[in-house]
Amino acid sequence: MTLNAVNRDIPSNIEGYGNTGEKLFAGAFARNPEGCRASARIRSRGPNDGGKFLGSVREAIAASGLKSGMTISFHHHLRNGDFIVNQVLDECARAGIRDLTIFPTALFGVHKAMLPHIQSGVVRRIMGSVNGPVGQLVSLGGLEAPVVLRSHGGRPRAVIAGDVRIDVAFIAAPTADIGGNVSGRAGKSACGSLGYAFTDAEYADCVVALTDNLQHYPIAPISIPGIYVDFVVQVGSIGDPSGIVSGTTRVTRDPLRLLIARYASKLIEASPYFKDGLSFQTGAGGIPLAVTAFMKDAMKRRNVRGGFGLGGITGYFVELLKEGILKKLMDVQSFDREAVESISSDPRHIEISADWYANPWNCGAAVNQLDVVILGATEVDTDFNANVNTESDGALLHGIGGHQDTAAGAKLTIIAQPLLRGRIPCVVDRVHTVTTPGEVVDAIVTEFGVTVNPRRQNLIDACKEAKGKDAVPLVPLDELAERARRMSGPMTPVRQGDRVVGVVEWRDGTVIDVVRQIFPENISS
Amino acid sequence: MGFTETPRTAQAGTVESMDCLVTISASGERRQIEISGGGVSRFRAAMEQKINQVLDGLGSSENIAISVQDNGAVDTVLGARVEAAYLRFRGVIDA
Amino acid sequence: MRRTMLYLPGNNPNMLLRGHLFGADGLILDLEDAVSRSEKGPSRILVREILKHRDFDRCEITVRINGLDTEFWRDDLASVVPYGIHGIRVPKVETPQALKDIDDALSALESMSSVPVGATKVFCLLETALGIWNAYDIARASARVTAIIPGGEDLAADLRTSRSKDGTELDWARRMMVIAARAAGVDALDTAFPRIGDEEGLRRETEFAKQLGFDGKSVIHPNQIPIVHEIYDPTEAEIEKAKKIVQAATDAAAKGLGAVSVDGRMVDLPVVRRAEYTLERAGVITGRGR
Repeated sequence: MTLNAVNRDIPSNIEGYGNTGEKLFAGAFARNPEGCRASARIRSRGPNDGGKFLGSVREAIAASGLKSGMTISFHHHLRNGDFIVNQVLDECARAGIRDLTIFPTALFGVHKAMLPHIQSGVVRRIMGSVNGPVGQLVSLGGLEAPVVLRSHGGRPRAVIAGDVRIDVAFIAAPTADIGGNVSGRAGKSACGSLGYAFTDAEYADCVVALTDNLQHYPIAPISIPGIYVDFVVQVGSIGDPSGIVSGTTRVTRDPLRLLIARYASKLIEASPYFKDGLSFQTGAGGIPLAVTAFMKDAMKRRNVRGGFGLGGITGYFVELLKEGILKKLMDVQSFDREAVESISSDPRHIEISADWYANPWNCGAAVNQLDVVILGATEVDTDFNANVNTESDGALLHGIGGHQDTAAGAKLTIIAQPLLRGRIPCVVDRVHTVTTPGEVVDAIVTEFGVTVNPRRQNLIDACKEAKGKDAVPLVPLDELAERARRMSGPMTPVRQGDRVVGVVEWRDGTVIDVVRQIFPENISS
Repeated sequence: MGFTETPRTAQAGTVESMDCLVTISASGERRQIEISGGGVSRFRAAMEQKINQVLDGLGSSENIAISVQDNGAVDTVLGARVEAAYLRFRGVIDA
Repeated sequence: MRRTMLYLPGNNPNMLLRGHLFGADGLILDLEDAVSRSEKGPSRILVREILKHRDFDRCEITVRINGLDTEFWRDDLASVVPYGIHGIRVPKVETPQALKDIDDALSALESMSSVPVGATKVFCLLETALGIWNAYDIARASARVTAIIPGGEDLAADLRTSRSKDGTELDWARRMMVIAARAAGVDALDTAFPRIGDEEGLRRETEFAKQLGFDGKSVIHPNQIPIVHEIYDPTEAEIEKAKKIVQAATDAAAKGLGAVSVDGRMVDLPVVRRAEYTLERAGVITGRGR
């Protein structure tokens, strides 16, 4: 056992993961790359080699050379509407393939269909987020190898650095042509950006595109060019459109969320970053979206012209682009119909890969240009460490998303969250799991006001200077933690076993924390 | 309407956020407590203590089963719901 | 300062626990209309427990009890008065005699607890034609009375009309309320605006009430608070002018001068009073106490 830089006991060897000796988290910017990028097998397809087109998933699995024990990857642009992960795993099971490592960019509730494949040994290992019943199973020790969690930037880094080798990448393609060119912009299953799929297409030994909208060669525009794609498969349907994109995203009317959003907006307004060129990422959650609405008012009132909006893009961001409040959108994931429509028609709405978005090991990811990010967390502790992976009962139920990357990149990282969810406090003495270290978290905003990390004295000073209607209600962390303790009362610690069921990597590939097994009686129903 | 005898079951509270639904019924054993819902994993001990404290304070010594369906009630709310359910069980306040 | 007083349903733990966070000047924990008949008992217990453990920051805390024509009001008072609330809001007050009954009940409860006798103030809801007619006498009936408030729905019904968008039917009652309140030296607080989503309507009605002279308005949803405050809060220019006037008056008094002059214009006492009130609302000076 050794303590890493956020005081977490990390076993020196984790069964199913490996030695951690060289890979202990040492600080947000401590580890630098060495050597060269990894590479994929070189393939060629000449004029006389026949077409790439295949008629079924089964044929594609056979053609790809997929065998037991290999690693397969998926992207999550179809979110909870995705049919591809389940279809591919079902076919693998039928073909007698076992012991697979699945390497998705994220999993959703719909993927609980893989439970029988885990139990039967088709799936041996998951490297990616788990939730719902799969998360419960993993938390209770139902998977032999630990789940490995990486951020949206940490995942392409792991591929490019050679930590993970992808044997076959299965790319759900809302539109594709016979030459393997792929786009997310059109088709009944349109999802807009295909940002999470790019690195897999470049680095997998074999790439299979699956589409329900096959077009003549070539489609335009093209997100992933056919030069990377080995096979194109036509399937009946790659997904359920209602689960892929949500309807119009509306700003919340919930007064508590609006209050927190108003405080966060005041903090941003008081900060030195509230000036022309302001760039921000707020995602699709209730509070962040309301912050965007308040910031829009403030920017209009104070005549501030924004720069770019980043990350997962909603119709609300599209509106800001159309109104000239933002100049560009950099879109790794399009959340709703308006975003899909916009990325398909407006050249100022740019599709970016996860690598481009957030990888710490390239020549400058977009997150590095970010002024402000609004994030959530299930818990934050008195060192400002944030947990987004485990719930209050210790169950591993959420992925990292872009949390680590945007927190590290942005000049102002805000975690906005109610102090209590029911009786459960979000500010605690020690988070159950460290996802993002306190050194890159600048402020916590709750219904009680704004709590600034003492490392950011300049921000505290800026807040104190704001007066009258712009005043920022500052609450010291001790007071906030004490309030949470007083309101929720004493908590029983989570009872956990020794066995490691999840490894949380920092975006640079070091181990920032591990998640240990819990027991059935712990689980909140 | 018009019940004069003690009802066999009484309830108070709701399943709304930050509330709980407390059901008290006659039981073969003395004061069985059953809790389900949001607070269970981290607050079971605190909740049992609060329930006992409220019932002791009201002088309860009957054989009753208390079932709490929790949706994030803090002690203050839990105590109020247990008291109301118990007073309804005893017919002290309207059901 | 009573720009806004927020109603919180007495059987809703979420609102009772969080209502104080939304920045209203006062809270009204409601045991009356927000609580169905069968829930009166549990709500009384819940409100009592929350008052015992309260953590309401700077809000003025009041409880709306059930009407004096119900069997609930004495139990309501007994559950909340011993915990030192700022006041009670009494529905459907019609005569000065009602205040005598309330006064006696409050004094009895206060003297049995650690609350000083007379400390619990009374906010009178005048929700009938008779109540409006008797407004001045009601406001003068007890030293506990601190504000009078015209009814909305109930008053419209008693007048044999219904509420309209522009509030014509309540117009006279509102004007009467301000005159009676000023004559009696208590606050005039406006009734709540019932349409939660209609921000423009709320804005219009609040501006009208403020212009009539109301000190503030009851609100039924947290999202109404910033809108009412925005209208009631003095502008920077108003604050600067008020500072000048108050300073000039202070200087004049120090020099023993009776007349006050600001920017070459004579300013009389009511103008100084209003300037002081502006600064009080802006939080620049503290109020004279009520």
